[in-house]
Amino acid sequence: MSLKSKEKKFSLTKLKNKSEWLIYLLPFLIGIIIFTLYPIVNVFLISFKENFNYITKTFSGWGIANYQYIFNDPYFIQALKNTLSYVFVVIPVSTCLAILIATLLNQKIKFAGLFQTAYFVPMVTSTIAIGFAWRFMFSHKYGVINYLLSFLNIAPINWLQDPTYNFYALCIYGIWAILPFSIILLLSGLQNIDPMYYTAAKVDGAKPLKIFFRVTLPLLAPTIFMVIMVNTISCFKVFNELFPLFGGGANVPAGVANNLFTVVLYIYYQFRVRVPSRYGYASAAAVILFLIIFVATMLQRYIEKKIKS
Amino acid sequence: MKVTIEHLTKRFADNTAVRDFNAVIESGELVALLGPSGCGKSTMLNMISGILDVTEGKIYFDDDDVTDVVPEKRGVGLVFQNYALYPHMTVLENICFPLEIKKVPKSERVQKAMEMAKLVHVDNMLDRKPSQMSGGQQQRVAIARALVKKPRILLLDEPLSNLDARLRIEMREEIRRIQKETKVTTVFVTHDQEEAMSISDHIILMKDGELQQIAKPQELYDNPANCFVADFLGNPPINKTYGVIKGGKIILDGECSIEDERFKNLEDRDDIILSLRAEAIEVCEDDGYNCGVIDEVYVMGKEVLAYITLGNNKVRAYIDSDESFKVGEKVSLKLKKRGFFVFDKMSGERIL
Repeated sequence: MSLKSKEKKFSLTKLKNKSEWLIYLLPFLIGIIIFTLYPIVNVFLISFKENFNYITKTFSGWGIANYQYIFNDPYFIQALKNTLSYVFVVIPVSTCLAILIATLLNQKIKFAGLFQTAYFVPMVTSTIAIGFAWRFMFSHKYGVINYLLSFLNIAPINWLQDPTYNFYALCIYGIWAILPFSIILLLSGLQNIDPMYYTAAKVDGAKPLKIFFRVTLPLLAPTIFMVIMVNTISCFKVFNELFPLFGGGANVPAGVANNLFTVVLYIYYQFRVRVPSRYGYASAAAVILFLIIFVATMLQRYIEKKIKS
Repeated sequence: MKVTIEHLTKRFADNTAVRDFNAVIESGELVALLGPSGCGKSTMLNMISGILDVTEGKIYFDDDDVTDVVPEKRGVGLVFQNYALYPHMTVLENICFPLEIKKVPKSERVQKAMEMAKLVHVDNMLDRKPSQMSGGQQQRVAIARALVKKPRILLLDEPLSNLDARLRIEMREEIRRIQKETKVTTVFVTHDQEEAMSISDHIILMKDGELQQIAKPQELYDNPANCFVADFLGNPPINKTYGVIKGGKIILDGECSIEDERFKNLEDRDDIILSLRAEAIEVCEDDGYNCGVIDEVYVMGKEVLAYITLGNNKVRAYIDSDESFKVGEKVSLKLKKRGFFVFDKMSGERIL
């Protein structure tokens, strides 16, 4: 009897709490509605409004003209290609490097703390400031990179001004900028692996490489998947990295031959650089980017589940 | 395989975990390393497996000196306290893994793993992941994985401590059965005297890094080498009463004398401990023999346990369920044939 009445009381307090939770959530909900949900819906709507004028809010009609335009715009096609290539170069290289460095940092080495700090420096510095440092390092005549390459008998490369190489300069800088975050996540993932698994494998006579591939990597897999997913999304949005390397003057920072458009840069270009601004084109490009990232993320989750089971 | 341990010492930076340890583990036996937590028994086990270096002394497997041999060359099978099964591998893959490392061909691997799985009774769940199994089943898999490479010795670190009470009894009998079937020399670490008493051929009892006694379980119980051994074994714990020996009698604190034939030849001395097992005390009606008073009587199923004040000491004794002693009643205590010991209070050395 007493137990039953207690249960009833408990569920009553629960019910009362139900009306309260909305009040606790409200400040956050309002923020997210105004600054996230509304703009997303609006961008989606604008992308279907033809000849939309943001000031007067007038448009000539609903339709898919914006999408037709961008898919016929060579700059947009090029932006898609560049962005995809960027993702396909930066993600595998940076993930492998990050796993390697995190594994090394996780060893009991001297000055481990010093190395860890050194690798995390890029994370606490401004992308733009460091980007300018890289611009100097990439310099054709005076850059330290070409200087180092000269020891390998490689002729100076015009990293930033040569359209065949500026994409690689962008990738190198992008990989470097993305590494510390990946390393932090992977290092914490590695430190979460119970050392007893290593002892067990070692007593059975497993060599370090065997342990790495059969024990460490599988146990680290969830973290690796998360790193890849987070980094893929951020790489699809590559934009900031272009300014310090290729910016300057009134031009769009898309390299000398305007060969380095990325999707976000294309959005920026339609929205901010062209006069008058082409809101419709920018919105359509944003929706396409959203769809690409959405599909890529779903694909990764699907693969992750497949591998897990 | 026989294990011989000679003058083994392990020092860490600021303490000595194992001190001048000598022991022989006979081939094909199931031996328990027993002791309170922090007594160095896991350190001992890790030195036998080779995970820990030794500071001084020697370890022999049969006639081979393995003191400086790396763990993977010693041929030891290890079962960890929380099993250390690889969570991303199935049961079969887990059991196969030691053979995979040895580059045994796949078909042979699977065949051997199946044999082991049958031995430990997990052959109907080979495709499961460790997370889909109970603690007892994981334990079985861990044992199979340790045995599959035919180790010279099987080492188990607190194998039963993560299981609930009922499963613990089932698994300890399983460990016994598996050990008898495979005849592999086995050492397991435990702090639970009942566990050690029930399944092992010999018990190595440790305290503070030092060997206390090696003996068969019953021998350890009936004939403890010192006060600690007597204390550590038995449930309820042995009764410790303090007093002196005087004129062939033991006078307990509180002027309570206990007489017995066997005390007659003892020399007079101060500061002794008379340890009495609860079943070694015969509780009789008061005849002025000594001065016991019943404090409390507990009836637990078939047993009746009385708490009795004896001078300044308190003892627990089993009494006949037919007899009805009342709380507060005066009684006399006599000693039965076995189950009492006299120790020196300072050194803990056995006097009788």
